[in-house]
Amino acid sequence: MNSILFLILRRLRRPLILIIVSFAIAIFGLTMMPGVDNKGQVWHMSVFQALYVISYTATTIGFGEIPYPFSQAQRLWTTFSIYFTVIPWFYAIGKIITLLQDTALKQAIAAERFGRAINLLQEPFYILCSYGQSVTLLAKALDHMNMRVVVIERSQNRLDELELTDSKQVIPHFCGDAMLPDNLIRAGILNPHCRGLVTLTDNDEVNLAVAIAVKLLNPKLPVVARAERDDIAANMASFGTDHIINPYTLFGDQLAMRVHALGTYLLHEWLTGITGETLLPPEPPPRGRWIVCGYGRFGKSVVANLEREHITTTIIEAKPELTGCNQCIVGSGTEAKTLKEAGIESAVGIVAGTDNDINNLSIVMTAFELNPNIFLVIRKNNSHNAALFKQFDAHITMQPTYIIAHECLAHLISPLLAQFLTLVRDQTNDWANQLISQLVSKVGEEVPETWAVTIDQQTAPAVTALMHQHIAITLQTLSRQPTDREQALDIVPLMLLRNQQPMLVPALETPLMMGDQILFCGRPEAKTAVTTLLEHDKTLTYIVDGSETPNSLLFRWLMAKKV
Amino acid sequence: MNLEKVIFGFFIVLAMTLNFGFFLGDIDNPAHHHIYELYAAIVVSLIATVLKFGDRTHVGAILLSTSLAADLQLITAAILWASLSGKYDEQALMVYIVSLSGGALMANIISVVLLIAETISQRR
Repeated sequence: MNSILFLILRRLRRPLILIIVSFAIAIFGLTMMPGVDNKGQVWHMSVFQALYVISYTATTIGFGEIPYPFSQAQRLWTTFSIYFTVIPWFYAIGKIITLLQDTALKQAIAAERFGRAINLLQEPFYILCSYGQSVTLLAKALDHMNMRVVVIERSQNRLDELELTDSKQVIPHFCGDAMLPDNLIRAGILNPHCRGLVTLTDNDEVNLAVAIAVKLLNPKLPVVARAERDDIAANMASFGTDHIINPYTLFGDQLAMRVHALGTYLLHEWLTGITGETLLPPEPPPRGRWIVCGYGRFGKSVVANLEREHITTTIIEAKPELTGCNQCIVGSGTEAKTLKEAGIESAVGIVAGTDNDINNLSIVMTAFELNPNIFLVIRKNNSHNAALFKQFDAHITMQPTYIIAHECLAHLISPLLAQFLTLVRDQTNDWANQLISQLVSKVGEEVPETWAVTIDQQTAPAVTALMHQHIAITLQTLSRQPTDREQALDIVPLMLLRNQQPMLVPALETPLMMGDQILFCGRPEAKTAVTTLLEHDKTLTYIVDGSETPNSLLFRWLMAKKV
Repeated sequence: MNLEKVIFGFFIVLAMTLNFGFFLGDIDNPAHHHIYELYAAIVVSLIATVLKFGDRTHVGAILLSTSLAADLQLITAAILWASLSGKYDEQALMVYIVSLSGGALMANIISVVLLIAETISQRR
């Protein structure tokens, strides 16, 4: 606020001096002019009376001739004063109004307010740089999980969109360049409550600059950055960016996962889904020869991943010399001739992966006409075209923004979840299917909440207290209803991390130890129940042996005596 | 030579000299203290204050605060004069007004001393 006040004062120097000078001359002159009082004697106005008269004259209020009707000399001077003082007055008012509409000042006020809003946040929050399509999804999901987010975005239009969205909590936002370290500091990268920063702009250089700035200013802060080019990704990794997201490889990876391990893919989607959504089991893609239209970064990743699964591919590419594709059919894939040339009749699947939504739709529609049994995978680039894609209803609609948002969520919800998902990829498909059926039976078909718990003095005081009394606490203890110990809570422990050793889906009989980290999955109600158990020793004692510990000191003493 | 500096220095020194001129004389003798001199001291002091706006240096901040202190005392003196003249013992009233202006004079002296100190510390 300080700097703004000085900015205003500095710009108002000239009008203020003009007002002071013109008033001073007008007041002095008025006291000099001889007047006549009600007794007909010569009378001079005092300085104070003159100040009064000039004040209401200059501001165009005009009370009249006070206290006695003016003499000719006084009227003459007042006439002069009117023109002399009113003009500087209006000039000053005009200047103040211009100043209030000044963009530099508005920007300064917005920055000040943003900084104050961040300082007032007394809970953990994430910083999101840019507010594109994937960040919109991410912000919505985090908001849904009651996590606070802060947005820095360069374009005011997108921020206007943000202002109109319906969110549970206020999302402080600021229109500015995230590449400037000042803006990052203002957004709270040095704030002790800041949990992490996500930079997902579509410009690799911006993401790189933001990641470097954050790692220099606050090396401990986790950074999730998007990078499309391999050299930028390597650069980011070199200075310790925590997670680097490449939407193209991510998509190829996920498609391959769908082909060879649908269960694993489903588990991945489910655990990183937005709470409250229902997830339908998708069809597994068939094995056989595939056609890939478009051999850009996206197509290359798809082909590489499909080939790893021993699936042969035929590539259709409009500009083979640009994309460095040796064996391909030249064409865009939107016309029947090219598709026939690629052998559409004998192919089992087609991937429409160009960066043009309309072309992609055209490719799959033509392909579907030529071969109604073909498996259709379509890439959706722009979420504004959602209605068209919904109408067409391909087998798989892949939207880079959606994939990026899911991947970010996996890292932001808890580092444990990201670790779990990596470990899951090494498991068999049957294992994943089994886990899914277990989860569905316990928590239902809606996307569950996933959260991590650390057994230590701070987050689980009740558990530590009972452990000190040598009472064994197992995972079983933590999955009971606080109101009725006979009833089990609908939660599934996904992973237990002890001394950096992960244990996937630990048995409920596993005894807990200090420092254990547990990843739970369940309904939001179960999450609050588990928190109660971790924090209240009375409730936990009840779960352990069914006894009610008295609250008051006196009764505790009596109980101890009785024993 | 810089015209801005000339104007700036002129108003600060003038604020002090006018203030001193008003203050000079027997403290309870209305004949020694002319109202127009107080009026001029207030106007010049206000202009000096506005000229000091917007300087973010440390010296600038102290200069502004001395001016604000002087303004406050001079305006208080003027208000006393405007509201109490004719209703109060003239000599006693004059003592109040002149002693207030004496306080303002101290602030103005500090202001000038700071100005001189800053000028001397300038290396070019």
